[in-house]
Amino acid sequence: MKESIITGSMKMADLVAADPRSMVLITRFGIDLGFGDQTIKQICQEKNIQTDFFLLMVNIFLSSSFFPNQKLKNVDVKLLLTYLANSHEYYIREKIPLIQAMFGNYLGKMDHPAKPQLQSFFDEYIQEVIEHIEYEEQVAFPYVSNLLARSAGGAGKAGRENYGISIFEERHTNIEDKLSDLKNLLIKYLPPSKERFLRIRIINELFDLEQDLGNHARLEDQVLIPLVEQMEKQLNP
Amino acid sequence: MPASAMIAEHSEIIRKGMVHLLESSGLFGIVRETPCSASLLDQVRRHQPDILFVNPGMIDATFRDKLKKTQEPQTRLAAIVYSLHDESTLKVFDEVILVNDTRAKILRKLNNLIKEQTSEEPHSDHSLTARELDVLKLLVKGLSNKEISTALFISTHTVMTHRKNITQKLNIKSVAGLTVYAMLNGIISMEELE
Repeated sequence: MKESIITGSMKMADLVAADPRSMVLITRFGIDLGFGDQTIKQICQEKNIQTDFFLLMVNIFLSSSFFPNQKLKNVDVKLLLTYLANSHEYYIREKIPLIQAMFGNYLGKMDHPAKPQLQSFFDEYIQEVIEHIEYEEQVAFPYVSNLLARSAGGAGKAGRENYGISIFEERHTNIEDKLSDLKNLLIKYLPPSKERFLRIRIINELFDLEQDLGNHARLEDQVLIPLVEQMEKQLNP
Repeated sequence: MPASAMIAEHSEIIRKGMVHLLESSGLFGIVRETPCSASLLDQVRRHQPDILFVNPGMIDATFRDKLKKTQEPQTRLAAIVYSLHDESTLKVFDEVILVNDTRAKILRKLNNLIKEQTSEEPHSDHSLTARELDVLKLLVKGLSNKEISTALFISTHTVMTHRKNITQKLNIKSVAGLTVYAMLNGIISMEELE
């Protein structure tokens, strides 16, 4: 699976069977489980999603070595923004609360002088993720939407003249380090505990989040930003 | 003793360009080259170059580990980059040389590679040294590199080297994470933190 490339004639169910991580991915396109034996192409047409775009995202997501090249022109930026916003919603409403609850539960049963430090380290990390997401939702994405409206011939809002996607790129800080630290603390340095399975579940969730956020960042850096730079050049030659 | 280098790169133009650069830098005694990725691991094992300059597409994620198992001292890895690579791919390299780097910049990178090669012993032991513990304690108390250097009578450069080694050994990068580590291991107490 890792190295193979997904095509439109594959059944959606086979995609899920081949790599269960795709379940979360397809929900971000508004596709729910229960699609029977339909192919990827059929489902995309039904949902008004460009199949090429869907496949591009799946391949980026499931194969870390896959790099989009000429296919960038197939990308529907509006759909990409929707996808990214849906991912944010998933992190904020599902993933983070789940990890918070499990971690809180684990700490509650732990008795160690380092407990407050661990709690505040965890809280800080979560806070950083949330701030990063809020920044994108409130500043970066509206900026891109506005650009989109302008390149479609609409007026768009003036202002924000001095903002550009390059700023977004700079502000696109790496929150990966802290997540990796948290994982390593749980794997290597927290003392053994009876709550071993809860601990394993937390670590599994962190691995999953790490991979998901990594793909998310890759999508923004390698697909969204290059596309927006193109739009900026066309509008302000 | 001048360092030895090996260049692994499919492209004849880029490979020969690198050979020329390394030879004209005067930093390297032996410069070997190969266009072939299949036998690369064997060749590195055989010749044990100090530094391997390699196109990231020619090695896989396990290359470094495989190398580590059979080799002492370590060959350092430098990526030759002229197309886009995943960030995680480049993480395993000690240095990244970009095709549009200026000559001066490349020479600086080469110098760093050679210096790191000779100055530090290999970090096979993962427990911290007494000096690293000193640095860690001050670091988690919130001191800056400069303050730590003053407190311990060492240069800021040395502080940074210690920090790098601490991070490498523990696999923890953030100061907040190191604080938790120090607390968990009784290196620092709650009272000392406040």
